[in-house]
Parts: sequence; C-alpha cells; structure tokens
Amino acid sequence: MNRKTLLITFVLAGFLTACAMRRSEPAKQKMFEPATSQIANGEKIFMAKCQKCHPGGEAGLGIGLNPVPAPKFLKRFQIRHGLGVMPAFKKEEITRQELHDITSYMSAWKHY
Amino acid sequence: MFKITFRSPRPGLAVKLLIAASIPFFISCYGIKSSKGGGQLGRHMTRNPQAADVLLAPGYKIDLVTKGLTYPTACTFDDKGELYVIEGGYSYGESWTRPALIRISQNGDQKVIASGSDNGPWTGVDFYEGHFYIAEGGSKAGGKILKIAPSGKIDTLIANLPSGGDHHTNGPVVRNGFIYFSLGAATNSGVVGPDNAHYGWLKRKPTFHDIPCQDIILAGVNFDSEHALDKSAGSVTTGAYSPYGKPSAPNQRISGSIPCTGAVMRISVGGTKPEVVAWGYRNPFGLRFSPDGNLFVTENAYDERGSRPIWGAGDILWQVKPGTWYGFPDFSGDMLLAGDIEFKAPGSPMVQSVLKEHPNKPPKPAAILEVHSSSSGFDFANAAFGFAGEAFIAQFGDMAPDVGKTLAPVGFKLVRVDPASGVIRDFAINKGKRNGPASALGNGGLERPVSVKFNEAGDELYVVDFGIVQMSKKGPHPQEKTGVIWKITKTQP
Ligand code: HEC
Repeated sequence: MNRKTLLITFVLAGFLTACAMRRSEPAKQKMFEPATSQIANGEKIFMAKCQKCHPGGEAGLGIGLNPVPAPKFLKRFQIRHGLGVMPAFKKEEITRQELHDITSYMSAWKHY
Repeated sequence: MFKITFRSPRPGLAVKLLIAASIPFFISCYGIKSSKGGGQLGRHMTRNPQAADVLLAPGYKIDLVTKGLTYPTACTFDDKGELYVIEGGYSYGESWTRPALIRISQNGDQKVIASGSDNGPWTGVDFYEGHFYIAEGGSKAGGKILKIAPSGKIDTLIANLPSGGDHHTNGPVVRNGFIYFSLGAATNSGVVGPDNAHYGWLKRKPTFHDIPCQDIILAGVNFDSEHALDKSAGSVTTGAYSPYGKPSAPNQRISGSIPCTGAVMRISVGGTKPEVVAWGYRNPFGLRFSPDGNLFVTENAYDERGSRPIWGAGDILWQVKPGTWYGFPDFSGDMLLAGDIEFKAPGSPMVQSVLKEHPNKPPKPAAILEVHSSSSGFDFANAAFGFAGEAFIAQFGDMAPDVGKTLAPVGFKLVRVDPASGVIRDFAINKGKRNGPASALGNGGLERPVSVKFNEAGDELYVVDFGIVQMSKKGPHPQEKTGVIWKITKTQP
C-alpha cells in the first residue's frame, strides 16, 4: 500500500466505525479517570457547553463526535466557527486555553 | 467563508490529501437527516424485562422487582421499609386510567392501597410521619396535593392548582413540616399555540394560559398561527401569558397570583395556603433535598414546537435558591434566548424576549442535561451506595418528533451528576450498538426510567420505569401494563 491509499483508507475507516463508538463507563466496563488537570477541566467545559447536544460524544440533538476522525485543530476550527446548525463558540464564551482543554478531553474520552 | 492559505507555494501530496479529506468535515448534513427519536424507532409493543440487558457502571448489579404496572411514576418506603409505588393514571397520548397507590411485597406481589379518579397523573409520592403525600397532576380538574393514610383513606389538602396544560402538579417532598411541590408551565415557552391543541388540552380548556407568581411587564411580542380549533376562523394572534387568540401589548402588565405556573411552592403539613419558594421554571418535575439540606429540582426544558419554538435547550438540574426567578420563558439556564443562534430553531426566526424586564438574572445551573432527555425524578446517593453526594437522574427519553427532531434516541437511561462540577456520566444504559429504549433495540432492558429512590439505608436504588410510549406524527402511544420497577445494588459491600 502506498502512502496515498493508506491515507484514504484511514479516512474512510474513520467514517465506517461510526456506530461502534459508544463511550461510557457502563459500555466500557471501566471508569473514566481524567489523566491530567487539562482533561478534567475540558470535561467540565464540555459538560457545560456541549454535552446537551453531543451526550458523551454520542449523537443526540447533534451528531456523534466520538467517531469523527478529524484532527484536533480541525475540531477547534469547527467549534470556533460553527458548522451548519452547530452554533459557533466565540472567544468570549470559550477561551483559547479552554478550547484546547475541550479537545484534549474529547480525545481522552474517545480513546479511554 | 472558509479560506485556506499555504506557507509554501507548492503544497505536498500529504497536505493536499489532508485538505481533501477535511472537506467532508465542513459539510452540514443536519437538514437532510430525519428524526430518530427513541419512541419513533420502537416496533415492540410488548415487554419482557431482562436485567441482563442493562449495563451498569462497574461494581453494580440490577434486578427486576415487579412488572406489569400501568404508567408508574414514583416509589417510596413506609416507616417499616416496605416499598410502595404509584401508578400515574394518565399518560401523554390522552390516556386515562385509575391512579393508584400500590404496596409491593418482597416477592413482587402488588396490593392496591388507594386509588383516585381520572384527574391524573399522580406524579410523585413521599412518606412522612405515618402518611403518604401525593401530587395529583390535575389534567382534568386541576392539581391537588393528597394525603393518604395506610388504611387507604384519602384527604385532599389543596385543590384547583392551575395545572391543566402541557405540564402538571409535581413532587412532593415533605421536609420539616412543609410539603414542597411544583407546577409545570401551561405551555412550551409562554405562548398558547397549535401544539396545545395537538396535545389535547386546548379543546378542553380554550382560555387556559400561564400565570406568573409576581407581576410582570410584557414586551408585546405576538405570535400568529392558523386557528388550531376552528380551521374556518383563519389566523389568530396570541401574546405571552394570554389566552389563545388574545394579542398582548407593549408594557402590558400581567398580575401575578398564587398558585402560579412554572413554580416551586410549599404548604405546611397542616395547612392549605401555598407560598412560593422559587419561580420562572418550565417544568420542574423532580424535587429532592441534597444530603446537606438544599432543595434541588430537575427542569424539563423548552421544545422545538408551537408558536415560539426553542431549539437546543438542555434540561437543567437546579439548586433552588428561595425567592429566585429561574428564567422562564426568556432564558435557558443562565443564557438569554433572544438573539442567540444556539436557541434558534432551524427554519424559524430568532427568538425574542416576551418579558420587558427580567426579575433577576437566573443563577448558574448545577448541571445542563441533554436536550429532550426528559431528565425527571432523581435522588442523592450516600456513601453506602458510592458516589456520595451525586444526583442519580432518571431520563424518561425523548418524545421526538413532537418535541422536535433528534438525530438519535436521547435519554432512556440513568445518569449520575456531580452538582458541584456539573459533570454527567452514564450509570445504567441498555446493551446494544446504540442508545435507546428496549422497544427500539428489541431487547428487555430499560424503557422509560421516570424516577429513582434510595431506600432508607441508601444501599439500594429503586428505578421506576414508566413503560412503553411510542411516538408517531399523531402523537404519543402509551402501552398499559408495561411499567416495571428495577433495583440496583453494589456487587461488593
Ligand atoms: C445546540 C446544539 C449543539 C451544541 C451546544 C454543540 N453542538 Fe456541536 N454540533 C451540533 C450539530 C447539530 C452538529 C452537526 C451540524 C450540521 O451537520 O449541520 C454539530 C457538529 C459538531 C462538530 C462537527 C463534527 C463533524 O466533523 O462533522 C464538532 C467537532 C462539534 N459539533 C463539537 C462541539 C463541541 C466541542 C461543542 C461544545 C463546545 C458543541 N459541539 C456544542 C449541535 C451542537
């Protein structure tokens, strides 16, 4: 496999694993312990701002986030600028540091 | 619009591919997706509850206590530790049955202690100094607080509470000689509209509307709709806190009166005169005191329906600060709805405030729960169960499409919430590739958990599961005799 096909396969695989991405303590049979204070802070902000539409990163009012393979910087871009009906979160609402904390939490949650 | 600039004049293959791969992330697909609520996906109208189909956080197990109940809403224990459950006697979908107080024996047998009339739903029960206290929803004749003796004798402590609209009289919890209860708002967001005809009550009560606890001044915003009761009447205009078809004017004063809608109130155990504890709620359904003695409520938030639809409003866990206004109908939590894209329903105009002045800025919520999760009855854990001080909340689950569109079933499980940090974690969910009620997943797990209660020692958590309510364009389709009670305990002491 050359680099091109590898990348394409990687991206496609991300889309196909969509429904196998339930994430929670009962589903994983394992407690989630934030490994850093950044992740712990990211979880709190996610709960205050995002959980209502993306419960535990699963779909709800919004789409599921756990299966999204986009890199962190792209997610931060989407959160800042909004996407379709997803509201944009400006600096006054979520600071730059908080935005990084949220994406750290999202990836820790996705891989725990 | 989105614009990409490169630092090097000729981006490499990897960069090009990365950009190409990013394009799907900027395509919105919300509009073309259909609603997939938990009640919409269900195909199973019968129920065979199986504890093995429920997944819990590690270290806990679940057992079935009793089944075959019709619209159960809450349970409690008497002074001997015996378990009692109430059957509500009403379900959304305009289905009336007989509300009842039922004793459940150790082996799951059911014995009716008292039963009521077709003025349900009985929404909650508490036991205090030898008597049961019950909130009667009041769908037909107004809300009531009932006192029931162990012999089955029923006394009405207070009646004619204005709760014949979308939401009912809820609670109660009895503490230090006071009965705390709540009334949900008559409407979704302060304005009577065609959604209330669809729900059924507008035909029965054509002039009913919300009542504030204190005087309020309206902004004079009005809402047009096709006449929902009389198609030949054309269009009608309705203001907030006004009967259907009656416009409001700028600076119009609406007098407050007690009892009011969308409020937490209390009466003394011997008394009959309600006083307001806090107001400005939409539907404060669950009421509980925390271990340190503070009152908390769960509020079922706005839906995307009616003349003033609100999108993206999460259910809320509030600590009740006496004398405070909690934001209905112009805030979601502590966020102003007006002008915020987050609350604008797709295809509807931006939300405008209907009140000219707000009594106070609402406090910060203890937690913001999932939009449409119907986060309902809850209880606080102590050290005997683990997660001491956390609120265990039953999520009845979405009622899509009546409440708006949802991309996947929301709720239908138990969550635990740390009121200090607002962090929410799943505690009991159904097995399966995705979330949803047992009737949608085709298994024997949770259907619509509506309330929970710890026993006196705090080491057993009882879960009241309302049973099957499926949803179609015509509205809710509840199934009698599909309600159950579950019990959750630790696997190791
Ligand atoms: C009011 C509901 C709502 C809130 C609040 C919300 N989102 Fe979203 N989000 C959505 C919806 C709906 C979409 C899908 C948008 C579309 O396709 O039009 C989405 C899409 C996204 C995407 C894009 C996924 C992809 O690649 O397609 C990301 C990332 C995301 N949300 C993260 C967040 C984070 C992080 C927060 C909290 C800071 C948040 N969202 C808050 C509703 C919401």
